[in-house]
Amino acid sequence: MKRRRGGLAAGQHRFILSVTIPTILYGSVGILTTGWALALMFFKYSPGRAGGPILGLGGSNPFVGLEHFRNMINGVSLEARLFRTSLKNTLIFAFAVLPLNLAITLPLAALIESVSGRLKIAFRAIYFLPVVTVAVGVANMWGYLYDPQQGLFNVIIRLFGGTPIAWLSDPRAQFLGVSVGMWATIAAYLWSDYGYNLVIFIAALQGIPKDFKEAAMIDGANAWQVFTRVTVPLLRPTLLFVCVMTMLSSFQVFDIIQVMTQGGPNNQTRVLVLDIYENAFRYQRMGWAAAIGFVLAVLVMVITVVQMRLLRTEWEY
Amino acid sequence: MATMMHTHAQSKETGLTRARHHLGRFLVYFLLILGLSMTLMPFVWMILASFKTQTELIRVPPTFWPENPILDNYRTILQDPKIPLLRFYGNSAFVAIINVLTTLFTSSLLGYLFAKYEFRGKRIFFGWFMLGMMIPSQMTMIPGYLILAKVGLLNTLWGLVVFSAMDAFGLFMLRQFIETLPNELLDAARIDGASEWQIYWRIVLPQLGPALATLGTLNFMGNWNNYLWPMVVITKVERRTLPVILTWYNSQHSERQNIVMAATVLVVIPVLFVYFFFQRWIVRGFTMSGLK
Repeated sequence: MKRRRGGLAAGQHRFILSVTIPTILYGSVGILTTGWALALMFFKYSPGRAGGPILGLGGSNPFVGLEHFRNMINGVSLEARLFRTSLKNTLIFAFAVLPLNLAITLPLAALIESVSGRLKIAFRAIYFLPVVTVAVGVANMWGYLYDPQQGLFNVIIRLFGGTPIAWLSDPRAQFLGVSVGMWATIAAYLWSDYGYNLVIFIAALQGIPKDFKEAAMIDGANAWQVFTRVTVPLLRPTLLFVCVMTMLSSFQVFDIIQVMTQGGPNNQTRVLVLDIYENAFRYQRMGWAAAIGFVLAVLVMVITVVQMRLLRTEWEY
Repeated sequence: MATMMHTHAQSKETGLTRARHHLGRFLVYFLLILGLSMTLMPFVWMILASFKTQTELIRVPPTFWPENPILDNYRTILQDPKIPLLRFYGNSAFVAIINVLTTLFTSSLLGYLFAKYEFRGKRIFFGWFMLGMMIPSQMTMIPGYLILAKVGLLNTLWGLVVFSAMDAFGLFMLRQFIETLPNELLDAARIDGASEWQIYWRIVLPQLGPALATLGTLNFMGNWNNYLWPMVVITKVERRTLPVILTWYNSQHSERQNIVMAATVLVVIPVLFVYFFFQRWIVRGFTMSGLK
């Protein structure tokens, strides 16, 4: 049916206006919060001080220009050092989670994909359980697994006559140059998260035509060769998507860490969002926290844009 | 028997590959079940601990099955004189249900608008939503908090609702869905004299069943599990939502892991039940969303 030429009927006009106007009004709150956040990072701001007439900025909440950002780069104050620690930890966390996650989920998805229909659905459903579990619950469960006395891990270690480990509280314990506390949170996070990528990979694997694998088999390839030479290349778009999503969510990790370690031991698991939270709502340094939030936003957006660029290439098969 | 002898002669080689095939199958199931037990183990360890007594819990070497399973841990949580857990289901449900309803309404309405109407500024409008989706909430939560403080919504459940009525992802998802609805259907209704609102309500919405269910369950779980924002907005203990109050029990019973585990079971398990009922929709929603 044709769209009416020369404009829409009056009723449609009214409908469009009656939807868009409230949306714009409501959506402008989003513009306000974003603009406000961008303004805050140039001020020393605490909600306890009265400050200037516009949004409480200025006056006793003075404009400091780029001082927060200079402070991030080479400040010597405690909060500057904590920021750099948090940034470093966030990067360690994200770059450890990504390869480990892929190393678990990709082969596991191929295994699940290879079993018969009903069993596949059951496996998928159970592997997905941690994803829908409340993050605070995950933190509690893993906090208990890591408990120095009663936790399952130390129980097993003791069973084999080893020395128990203070997983979440020993600041000197290290593995591969990264603190054990960090590894412990990474493990908990991986567990809570792998079902997600797993399900995406399974869906993608189902989309690969059987003929491709069979053709490779006939040419004498073994299962491993089929997986690495046929399946993985065909999964590339999905792989990219999964990499970016995993990166984004691990950059924004908070719940598990805040509950399990509060950033400890010795700030070894302090991450950016925790740093933002504590500065803004515990120490009332909201200008400084907004500046950190901006750094996080830039990181997130760079990853998103890179994702969009990479995903623009469509693979056909 | 005769046939077997026959085939045996002709296929020494296939026999070998079959053995390898069986070995491969065995290995596949072995790995899958290993992974499965690692996935379930934290749940199991939590549930078992929630039925153990404190003396049993700290015994060395520890027991696996509770020797004398008790319900006291659950009683402690449910009958806490100050803070009985059940109240917080109400808080969480209130926030989640309102957010789900408003999100479904705005996403379907705006999805319909973007899918089926042409108007000036549509692209700018759309780009605005895209941009909004990219800005992490950790950045805007500080001004959000300040706004709530100004209008007096801190420490209220409404504070957890007012900013959540619109969801860019839901909009994109439903727009895609609505684009597939034939225009003829809508025009026929127009000819019959239906207003645009009636078309939205009577024709478009009923077609969206599965999509709304997917988006709704996804949104519900996201709200139910939300932690950071409710913790920021609500400091009054009795107004908290479930994940936040769970950490309160942690601090109250930090030396009693069996009680903490009982509280965790009570918070975690209901969601898992919902999950098993809506499993198909939830898994599909998560794969479509690219969001967590």
